[in-house]
Amino acid sequence: MSDFNPKIVAFVCNWCTYAGADLTGTSRMKYSPQVSIIRFPCTGRIDFMLLLKAFANGADGIIVSGCHPNDCHYSSGNFHARRRWIVFRGLLDFLGIDVRRVRFSWVSAAEGAKWAQLVNDTAEHVRQLGPFSGYHRLRGLGVG
Amino acid sequence: MARIGVFICHCGENISATVDVKKVAAAASRIPGVAHSVEYKYMCSDPGQQMIKNAVREKNLTGVVVAACSPRMHEPTFRRACAEAGLNPFLCEMANIREHCSWVHEKSDATTNKAIDIVRTLVAKVKKNKALLPIKVPVTKTALVLGGGIAGIQASLDIANAGHKVILVEKQPSIGGHMSQLSETFPTLDCSQCILTPRMVEVAQHPNITLHSYSELESLDGFIGNFKARIRKKARSLDEKLCTGCGLCTQKCPTRKIASEFDAGLGLRPAIYVPFPQAVPNKPVIDREHCTYYLKGKCRLCEKICPTQAIRFDQEDEILEVEVGAVVLATGFDIKHGDFFPEYGYGKYKDVIDGLQFERLASASGPTLGEMRRPSDGRVPETVVFVACAGSRDPAKGIEYCSKICCMYTAKHAMLYKHKVHHGRPYVFYMDIRAGGKMYEEFVRRAQEVDGVQYIRGRVSRIYERGGKLVVKGADTLLGARPMEIEADMVVLATAGVANAGAEELAQKVHVSYDPYYFYSEAHPKLRPVETNTAGIFLAGACQAPKDIPESVAQASGAAAKVAGLFSQSELVREPLIAVVDRQAPPLYSTCVGCFLCQAACPYQAIEKEEIRGRDGRLIKTVAKVNPGLCQGCGTCVALCRSKSIDIQGFSHEQVYAEVLALLNRGESDV
Amino acid sequence: METLRDKARELLAARTVQVIIGYGQGSGGGARAVFVREAADADALIFNEACRQNLAVYLMKPEVRKLGKAALVATPSALRTILQLAAENQVGDHDLLALAVHAAGEVTLLATLQAIEAHVTELDADLSAAEKAELRKYEALSLEQRREYWQEQFSRCLKCYACRAACPLCYCSRCTVECNQPQWIPVPAHDLGNLEWNVMRAMHLAGRCVNCGDCSRACPVAIPLYLLNQKLISDVFANFNARSGMAAKTDNAMSIFKPDDSEDFIR
Repeated sequence: MSDFNPKIVAFVCNWCTYAGADLTGTSRMKYSPQVSIIRFPCTGRIDFMLLLKAFANGADGIIVSGCHPNDCHYSSGNFHARRRWIVFRGLLDFLGIDVRRVRFSWVSAAEGAKWAQLVNDTAEHVRQLGPFSGYHRLRGLGVG
Repeated sequence: MARIGVFICHCGENISATVDVKKVAAAASRIPGVAHSVEYKYMCSDPGQQMIKNAVREKNLTGVVVAACSPRMHEPTFRRACAEAGLNPFLCEMANIREHCSWVHEKSDATTNKAIDIVRTLVAKVKKNKALLPIKVPVTKTALVLGGGIAGIQASLDIANAGHKVILVEKQPSIGGHMSQLSETFPTLDCSQCILTPRMVEVAQHPNITLHSYSELESLDGFIGNFKARIRKKARSLDEKLCTGCGLCTQKCPTRKIASEFDAGLGLRPAIYVPFPQAVPNKPVIDREHCTYYLKGKCRLCEKICPTQAIRFDQEDEILEVEVGAVVLATGFDIKHGDFFPEYGYGKYKDVIDGLQFERLASASGPTLGEMRRPSDGRVPETVVFVACAGSRDPAKGIEYCSKICCMYTAKHAMLYKHKVHHGRPYVFYMDIRAGGKMYEEFVRRAQEVDGVQYIRGRVSRIYERGGKLVVKGADTLLGARPMEIEADMVVLATAGVANAGAEELAQKVHVSYDPYYFYSEAHPKLRPVETNTAGIFLAGACQAPKDIPESVAQASGAAAKVAGLFSQSELVREPLIAVVDRQAPPLYSTCVGCFLCQAACPYQAIEKEEIRGRDGRLIKTVAKVNPGLCQGCGTCVALCRSKSIDIQGFSHEQVYAEVLALLNRGESDV
Repeated sequence: METLRDKARELLAARTVQVIIGYGQGSGGGARAVFVREAADADALIFNEACRQNLAVYLMKPEVRKLGKAALVATPSALRTILQLAAENQVGDHDLLALAVHAAGEVTLLATLQAIEAHVTELDADLSAAEKAELRKYEALSLEQRREYWQEQFSRCLKCYACRAACPLCYCSRCTVECNQPQWIPVPAHDLGNLEWNVMRAMHLAGRCVNCGDCSRACPVAIPLYLLNQKLISDVFANFNARSGMAAKTDNAMSIFKPDDSEDFIR
């Protein structure tokens, strides 16, 4: 398992977590290279289907992160996202999809250290869980 | 056919020290659709930008990816460069391989591969970018200021002096607000009316300001730069053009025993009245609820004696429609009245009064002409107890916050009392002293050390009458919670500052958000204190939260600056990264089915209903429509839409889908 | 049954409505939907234990809407569906009225959405004790057991979309599956696509499904779709105290929020 390098996609909001990750960089804090970021204006924009697409295309783990409640740049996008994740996570879990592979977090623009910690923790955690072969095995014709 | 240009920056050594930039450029050149792939030491420098411009022109590029620092840093720089080269700026994206890659990983193949992943992701995205034009929204350069207290007055004057028209709407018959009721202001003990009335007159005389007093907002429609307001001018029962303000009617009115609102219930006024002598406008209004003519059809004395026949009993409310570009909410606050603490006897004992009532007693034009006389029998009170925090900072009573101004005005009240009653004994029961403003701490010390106000740290548990005195039972916690009793002649309660009656209704009319206490919400608690989440609507003064006069004035000027900034251009230019509802050919017209889940979720009320009609005028379907002037581009509606009928420029369905696939699929042809 | 037919005749004769959407005799002792337009044909209407289909699905079909104002023979689920459709701006008082049918054969005419609302508040809209017990049984399985169970169920899915056709709340003129730029849900019936389709449909019904069960009855390969919907109904109620199909003017639980919504997994 130790030579398994998990692929982790991070869906983050521009105003908080993306900026927080920028701060991690500016502060030269080091973290695992397993995680790559995709930028959204707000966590409210993150469609749940994108998470399934990430897993279907080989991701072993996912991070979803945005502004803390009450701090959303658009005032309520993260509140809508929260409701969405509460329901979606419950459904995935019910279907036997390991929700430990999806890490939800609030990381603000000032929390560079928290971002580094989050990435390292998630990478290690997913490394322990191993490749998401159970999901990756679900394939078929013309998958994309 | 896509022709993407990829430009990898070394950023000196910031990127090249850990990422093999040549390898990244080579890998990028192999991505289908990439027509040009180079690396350079400093892309943001002049020569770097020139490289991009040359490549755009020479290679006929349809999109550009600059792999360098964070887009939060240089996206505008590179978008400008592309625009100058003739490529729509929104066809340029940045791949963050510095903050998110080279700076946070060690030099290794994994780091270089991650940089390649990031570049590939943004190339896939930019292929789906659309050329966009900035959105222009016209601006009506007239401001609507709601509320004529000190904040509304300041905002109106600032905006008017900047050369723009202002419509000032005030609910009461006169402007001035609570500041006009005060006797002296802290920390200078300036006479409140002396500093306020010149401003009030300036407002009335300013050529750019139209004052509608005794008026309220009826409705507000539209959006930033383009509001339509309806104002209800309540009937004064007076022809204001004929009235000279001589005041004869107010002197002769036979109905004279109505509790004066301006005197906080301590004085009396007639049925036709001017609220206070320095009122602006200095014209009377008939109180139809108490006037004999309206109640019984008799009297009409004012009509008979008016030298200019200005009385109009049958006058009706008038609705005015105005077009404005910005709205400033300056509707102020109130203090809590009523038996909030039945154990304090407010409302039961005449001599237990609140802060505004004390101001009226102390005021030279008040019901006692400035003499310190208690309400019940007019005697001079020898001992006065001031109770601070009478209602604030009390979760059990539902008001958790600190009302901010009471420590200061309690000290002021105690000092004013002592100045008027030299042998008087003032006591203040307090929890903490909050005196954080300029010269505030010194002011409170002066009360204690110079004027001999006795401060007792503890709360009051009960006030009751005994032998003609008010017994105040409290505790002195600095002496080990020693219970104590003071026999007072008068008690002044520093009741909580609360939102004005009607605050919730007004907020809902103009669509601004408010907190659980009905104070209006600012757009960001730290960095955007004078804006609301509703574009074009600004905040000034205590309607946002209890605050003192200097802060109200500062915030009002801040709001005025925002309005002047908004009016400084004839058109509002906005970034076009907004949502849009799709259109299809007939008979579908749009895949939107009009469920309006999006409308409920939008924090900016940017989604409207649009009726699609056939040529015969028949309604075909009602669909959602995004107002380009209001949408801020969060994309919540996009994620909620079940049929994917609403999409957002810059982060569209196609763009983010392409990014996810490209990130995870190396070496496969792009979808 | 006579009351039902009488009412139908009355409504058609007076031209209060242009069509009665009700149940008629189907094949094999079952029931099927009938669309009665003339008072003389009202005898085709029946009501018995076989009449379980949520007829509200026809309110969203353009062919039926074209006929004019409809009277719907409504089971409790259908009544709740009407309210949910109204809350989503799809139907109004001018489009329909409901003939609420009770097991004993009585028929109540509910002429307005307000009347339907008043009637629905009297119903027990919660999941039944048996439904809750079954849900708990599946929730109690281990992660691996659940994964195996659902993979087995979805392996039978044909992507026939009968569930979508039967569901009154699946009325989008262009369903996400019909989008190919990008192709959100792959077309063929394979494990991955089947999972994505069913997850997506369940999520699109979150806060909306009224638990009529028609999707499960329509599925030709007997996938227990009702379990997915009931799981979400239960979660939406437990977390947001919201229930669909109870009011004609209300917001969907998924498009509003409360600042104090709480969860234990976002840190």
